[in-house]
Amino acid sequence: MSDKKYKDILTGHNYDGIQEYDNPTPGWWWLVFHCCIAFAVCYFVFFHISIYGWTRDEAYSAEVKRNFDKQFAALGQLEVNGETIARFLNEPQWLDVGRTVFQTNCISCHGKQGEGLVGPNMTDDRYKNIKQIGDFGTVISNGAAKGAMPAWKTRLSPNEIVLVASYVASLRGQNLSGPRPPEGDVPPPWPVPDKPADAETPAKPDAPK
Amino acid sequence: MNHPTDASGSEKVAPTPGAAPTARLETFTYNDAIVRMFLTATLLWALVAMSVGLFIALQLAFPRLSFGLPFLTFGRLRPLHTNAAIFAFAGNAVFAAIYYSTQRLLKARMWSDMLGQLHFWGWQLIIVLAALTLPAGVTQSKEYAELEWPIDLLIAVVWVAFFGVNFFMTLKTRRERHMYVAIWFYIATIITVAVLHVFNNLVVPAGLFKSYSIYAGVQDAFMQWWYGHNAVAFFLTTPFLGMMYYFVPKAADRPVFSYRLSIVHFWSLVFIYIWAGPHHLHYTALPEWASTLGMIFSVMLWMPSWGGGINGLLTLRGAWHKVTSDPVLKFFVVGITFYMMATFEGPMMSVKSVNALSHYTDWTIGHVHAGALGWNGFMTFGMMYFLLPRLFQTKLYSQKLAEWHFWLGTIGILLYIVAMYIAGLTQGLMWRALDENGRLMYPDFVETVTRIIPYYWMRAIGGGMYLTGVGIAAFNFAMTWKSRPATYTETEHQAAPLSDDDFTPEVRPESQLQGVAEIGKKLDVWSTMWWHRKWERLPLRFTVWTTIAVIVASLFEIVPTFLIRSNVPTIASVKPYTPLELAGRDIYVSEGCYNCHSQMIRPILAETKRYGDYSKPGEFVYDHPFQWGSRRIGPDLAREGGKQSHLWHLLHFQDPPQVTPNSIMPNYGWFERKKLDFASIPVRLRAAHYLGAPYDDAVLNDPISVARAQAKQIADELRQQAGGGDPRRVPDNAPPTFQHDVALEDTQVIALIAYLQRLGTDIYKQPDAKPAAPQPTPTPTPVAAASADNSAKGAQ
Repeated sequence: MSDKKYKDILTGHNYDGIQEYDNPTPGWWWLVFHCCIAFAVCYFVFFHISIYGWTRDEAYSAEVKRNFDKQFAALGQLEVNGETIARFLNEPQWLDVGRTVFQTNCISCHGKQGEGLVGPNMTDDRYKNIKQIGDFGTVISNGAAKGAMPAWKTRLSPNEIVLVASYVASLRGQNLSGPRPPEGDVPPPWPVPDKPADAETPAKPDAPK
Repeated sequence: MNHPTDASGSEKVAPTPGAAPTARLETFTYNDAIVRMFLTATLLWALVAMSVGLFIALQLAFPRLSFGLPFLTFGRLRPLHTNAAIFAFAGNAVFAAIYYSTQRLLKARMWSDMLGQLHFWGWQLIIVLAALTLPAGVTQSKEYAELEWPIDLLIAVVWVAFFGVNFFMTLKTRRERHMYVAIWFYIATIITVAVLHVFNNLVVPAGLFKSYSIYAGVQDAFMQWWYGHNAVAFFLTTPFLGMMYYFVPKAADRPVFSYRLSIVHFWSLVFIYIWAGPHHLHYTALPEWASTLGMIFSVMLWMPSWGGGINGLLTLRGAWHKVTSDPVLKFFVVGITFYMMATFEGPMMSVKSVNALSHYTDWTIGHVHAGALGWNGFMTFGMMYFLLPRLFQTKLYSQKLAEWHFWLGTIGILLYIVAMYIAGLTQGLMWRALDENGRLMYPDFVETVTRIIPYYWMRAIGGGMYLTGVGIAAFNFAMTWKSRPATYTETEHQAAPLSDDDFTPEVRPESQLQGVAEIGKKLDVWSTMWWHRKWERLPLRFTVWTTIAVIVASLFEIVPTFLIRSNVPTIASVKPYTPLELAGRDIYVSEGCYNCHSQMIRPILAETKRYGDYSKPGEFVYDHPFQWGSRRIGPDLAREGGKQSHLWHLLHFQDPPQVTPNSIMPNYGWFERKKLDFASIPVRLRAAHYLGAPYDDAVLNDPISVARAQAKQIADELRQQAGGGDPRRVPDNAPPTFQHDVALEDTQVIALIAYLQRLGTDIYKQPDAKPAAPQPTPTPTPVAAASADNSAKGAQ
């Protein structure tokens, strides 16, 4: 700021020795201030008065739909049952989706690898509430053990429930060691999926007992 | 004219210009003793506030630092830190500035020495009470308004009856006809803080140490951030601008750059600031129009804020050579620079899409510390170094130490805010990161915490440097004080009292415009602001207009928020808390859980994927006070109900890392040992009922039995989940016959679990469902649960 820009004429005010110049408010200050006001007015009119704006909820719903399509376009809406759960046992790409659901919601009780913590070990052969593969869907949806296992049907979509169920089912036989003793009975082996998977197996090779 | 290094003894006051040189001159002195008191308190409380800040900053990097002691947890100490920094440190600095400059600007001693003393001691008493009650868990849980109602009453009395009356009576008895811009800012401060304080703290008391906000949920959140934002505006901005307008031209010995800019930015600042509060609530259950107003007024606020900054910096034209040698000016220049930085950043963060990223992260923490340490802190220290020689009538003990203070402080702030910017951006981006298949990239919350721990260390180092600087200042202060004279000289000043005889009123100028409509000419004359000069000698009119500016703007937002029913659509299945849940909620409030956990899921994809469906306004109608929080040091809890087992919660409170490795939450081991105060439940329930929560007569008549029944049920479920035994921790050296002092169903942890299991579950219930205990859905496959022998032990 060169001093020449402002005339620096004193107003004649004097307060305890403090004087004031009669300089104008800088032009750029007014310009930016007016631009901000114009932006404010336009923003309000666009989003709250005009027919072109959209609401927060509309934007969110569109995003949810895009995300669903991105994740599940190939699957459509799944039904939670044993057959569907078994279908994904050999599909690593979908088991990986299930793994994310597990990492988001389940590891605080079942451990990061499913080895058990407050909740039972999911990697051994024994299950407390599972007699057949379809039971994974029911237990995850509705909870079990008097609320020790929470109900997830209000939090997860059916697709997510199916995929996390498949993921958990796929952990069977890894026999990771966890803090809890083995619990429950040994159900019969899971049915082989209708659609045989590729050569690779989704789960890591078992550690021999 | 003063030279900045002159001691106050040399001040000479010229008689009022325009006053008739008669013998009517009055002789008076200034009360500097009260300024010395406030300045001393400023520095002492700075040390306290910043030490607590450093301590809780270290707790985030090293959680064990709470030592399992209730009064040392982050949730209880963080309010102590913020209250001490704002009201004790900045507050006393503001009072020192106002008492020193007002007397000189008005050529009048403060109206009453006694009121000054009452103000000083009353305020210190408030701070001491805050330091005693906050760590004890006595809190209203509204940020920067945590103090409970008896202390709030004391604040109102001290602020209005002692400080306000003293200030306005001094204004009335002034000998300077016109009010300088600093005084305008002081008026705005005193009026607005009083209004904010009263209306945000309206509560229904339930005993001496507990109260419930009269507002609920959305409205409570709105009032809180109307208050919270304007506490920043009218406690940390306007009085400091007043301070700047007095001390910067004084220290630089230069005229203020532009009188007209002062007028324009004062009124635009006062009018616009008050609207901006809702920007703290973007994407929450607050109605969208209010959120938009908060955003656009924040954007418009950019230039009014900068008006103060440029008027301060441009006042230094022709004095920049002094800045290199004078620590006072150095502090001021950096202080104003941080002000301009923070008031650019603020509007930017208030833009909704930016806020979607920055909200709940450490970015906000960085932003406020740029303001608090940079602007408030450095303006205060600049003023302190200006005042020390004048107040103690001696030389500053060491110029060199002041330089050290300056550099340690400056580098400290930079380290601090850079650390917080990186931490905030890192965490914000991790929370929202989706992989190419549209899934959360970092589904485990704790992963986003461990990633930023290094920056917590960096922040602690920056904060430690700043605190060290303040320690040096305290030493410099004490040594200067030691070399004070045996008795202070009280300089006598002379001025004539104001009289209508010896003054000519302002003349309305004529427009020079040619060939313009009459309205154009009127506008031209108006824009010369000659009328404002008139206002400046009419304090009452000035105060009334300031009050109108603030109140009208507030009402524009408050009235629709409270009156339009569609803002908070009711949800039939949302029911009041049960007596036990209410008691649990009060513990949650008392522990300050909101300091780390939000209860507000925003309609943002990554957020609903992580936490569940977004929060609806109707879910909070029984929340007195609201608990939405403002920072997620831990995950959101709005839909925590039913997400974990009772047992998980118990083990988590016992020692969080045993169920969440790397958790930085302090342990709350006493929850499972301490007895719940069942006897206090009826008064809590009556307060909730009085505030509109419908309860059956059965519940109202005997809430204790209802609470005990629910506690019994939860305790039973806990034992079942633990395999039959008591899941609580047994002391290491306990005998085999060990018995807990308190039965499981009588402990605080049961009430907390009851509350947490209720959170966010009502909207999934049938409208006619009973609001009783959280009923787990019956298991459709009733397999006999194999006896899981003490799973609690297994988890440890």
